[in-house]
Amino acid sequence: MSAPLTAPAGAPAAEPDAGAPVIQTSALSKRYPGPVTALDALTVTVAPGITGLVGANGAGKSTLIKILLGLLEPTGGEARVFGRDCQRDGEQIRGLTGYMPEHDCLPPDVTATEFVTHLGRMSGLPPTAAKERAAESLRHVGLYEERYRQIGTYSTGMKQRVKLAQALVGDPRLLLLDEPTVGLDPAGRNSMLELIARIGAEFGISIVVASHLLGEIERICDHLVAIEAGRLLRADTITSMTQVRQVLLVDVDEGSDELLAELGRRGLEPRRHERSLLVGLDGDATYDIVRDAIADLALPLNRLEQRRRRVEELFQDDDDDADALVTARTGGGPSGGGGPSGTPEAPHVR
Amino acid sequence: MSAETGVIHDIGYRRYTGRRLGRAQIVRALYWHSLRSAFGLGRGAKAKIVPVIVFVIMCLPAIASAVAVANGNPRLVPYDTYVFQLRVVLMIIFVAAQAPELVSRDLRSHVLPLYFCRPLRRMDYPLAKLAAFITACLAIIEIPLVLLYLGTIAQSHSPHAIWTQTRAFIPGLLVGLMWAVLLAAIGLAMASLSGRRAYATGGIAIYFFLTWILAGILIAVTQRNVVRSATINPPPGARPPGVPATGPIKVHMMTQVPTTASHLSGLVSPFTTLDGVRLWLGGTSKGALPGVGGYGALYGAMFLVLLAASVGGLFARYRKAGAL
Repeated sequence: MSAPLTAPAGAPAAEPDAGAPVIQTSALSKRYPGPVTALDALTVTVAPGITGLVGANGAGKSTLIKILLGLLEPTGGEARVFGRDCQRDGEQIRGLTGYMPEHDCLPPDVTATEFVTHLGRMSGLPPTAAKERAAESLRHVGLYEERYRQIGTYSTGMKQRVKLAQALVGDPRLLLLDEPTVGLDPAGRNSMLELIARIGAEFGISIVVASHLLGEIERICDHLVAIEAGRLLRADTITSMTQVRQVLLVDVDEGSDELLAELGRRGLEPRRHERSLLVGLDGDATYDIVRDAIADLALPLNRLEQRRRRVEELFQDDDDDADALVTARTGGGPSGGGGPSGTPEAPHVR
Repeated sequence: MSAETGVIHDIGYRRYTGRRLGRAQIVRALYWHSLRSAFGLGRGAKAKIVPVIVFVIMCLPAIASAVAVANGNPRLVPYDTYVFQLRVVLMIIFVAAQAPELVSRDLRSHVLPLYFCRPLRRMDYPLAKLAAFITACLAIIEIPLVLLYLGTIAQSHSPHAIWTQTRAFIPGLLVGLMWAVLLAAIGLAMASLSGRRAYATGGIAIYFFLTWILAGILIAVTQRNVVRSATINPPPGARPPGVPATGPIKVHMMTQVPTTASHLSGLVSPFTTLDGVRLWLGGTSKGALPGVGGYGALYGAMFLVLLAASVGGLFARYRKAGAL
């Protein structure tokens, strides 16, 4: 048997246009009869690397993915993937793209090997190559030993890995992952996120991860695109986003008033949040200041954690304490004055 | 690399640089995959039970005929109807059991988005499934016919005899093609409505059986009973007791005569519709219908309407169901 992986290309695989952005949309709109506006004049460019597509449920993430795959016609504007028009060249784009749906999409009564092999065939791989690449994809996602078991016997985490393997089997240049950690326990989430990060970094595949949990995907993304109600809220690199985002929650059993004053004296700008305090997080130094303040006051510390926040909170109006805090730190709030981070932008773009 | 070490080395990610198949070849791969699953190939032994049993039973009349012909008897079954009732029952079982195998499973486990995000077009999926299932039905219907033909001509020694058989055999193949196309289309269209296999199988079986029984009842009750009288004059030895020894006897016979209603009754069932088309196109063997009168074209039209509705329904289903 010959080795198709190294065989000379009979028909050269469609390669992405060099230099073209991975994804580019301009004034992209999608209105459903109803009238429901899923996407509203969305203009965004996605560079190579791992990009988080964040937004609340119903923000338009899935609609955007369907348009990018050429499966849905936009009502206005245009979308390009690797420089190709999504409406006209949908087939080519789908040949370059792997897609992992949010919902369950696996038959229970076939083995992972059979299933991924078949979908490899459907991605245009010849029979032998499909078998080899299915085995490789399953190995990459960590399912080598179990690959001859029926999918119905798998845990949720393993099923998510099969979904990722089928997206990977056709050697895509772009992966579109829709809520890849949904339904997983914390350990499962971590290993899934690590896996995605590894695929992005080591496999050289651009990845778009759609999620409603910013705190989760921030860890692995280079870029972040936030959408709300079909509009672009913000697109930026992860570092400039996280500077205004990270918040430390401090919970002491008693003496929170003293701590509030003390932290203020030490240059932080704490805010009350229910029974706890919220402090803008600016690296390890913030932890040190909080620790020292509590130690000096000899207060019983109950909880000290980086607050995991949902995207919709981050971009909410100022009725949320944390957002008020962030606004304050960046110069728009009642206490005035630039925060220590010196972030140039306010978190609200509206 | 030594063969005795069992260590898996992480060789990292390798790009695929080999040949990529075009859309037409992907559709062909899906066609083969679906055709195999219609016979339970590549799946467990349980999945093969129905297709194998149906196929074996369908072949039995052809084998029996071959044995009879080998012993000097004439061919037992006609090519154009085969054993009509047996074929109806076996095809109902096959279509009801296997059509859901092709489409309901994918619907049930929501696999479709994984097809549609690949370099296929939306209509390629139902197209491949339909072509595969027509092929499967064709195999179940036509292979026994081929056996019947081969078993017959094996004992034919003159070219003329072989030609006579061939001329009867070819229309039989065409009738089988009509059956395969229509039954596969109806079966898949109905199966595509439900992701639950049991519902799909039940729905198909009930539709086929009920319409088949209904057609039979309608044909029976709409035929007119006619008393025919005749005068005969049997020789003295052949006269039943109680009859005068000489002179002509008047006898009365009750026969059933098809009416317009009974000519049209066959339109309610796909099987009798197929038989009506066969009669219209010149079929001579006795099938399910007493005749089509002057309504043969109506059966032709009904065949086309059933086919168009099924194929149209199947494709419309996937135009909508493809939402990711």
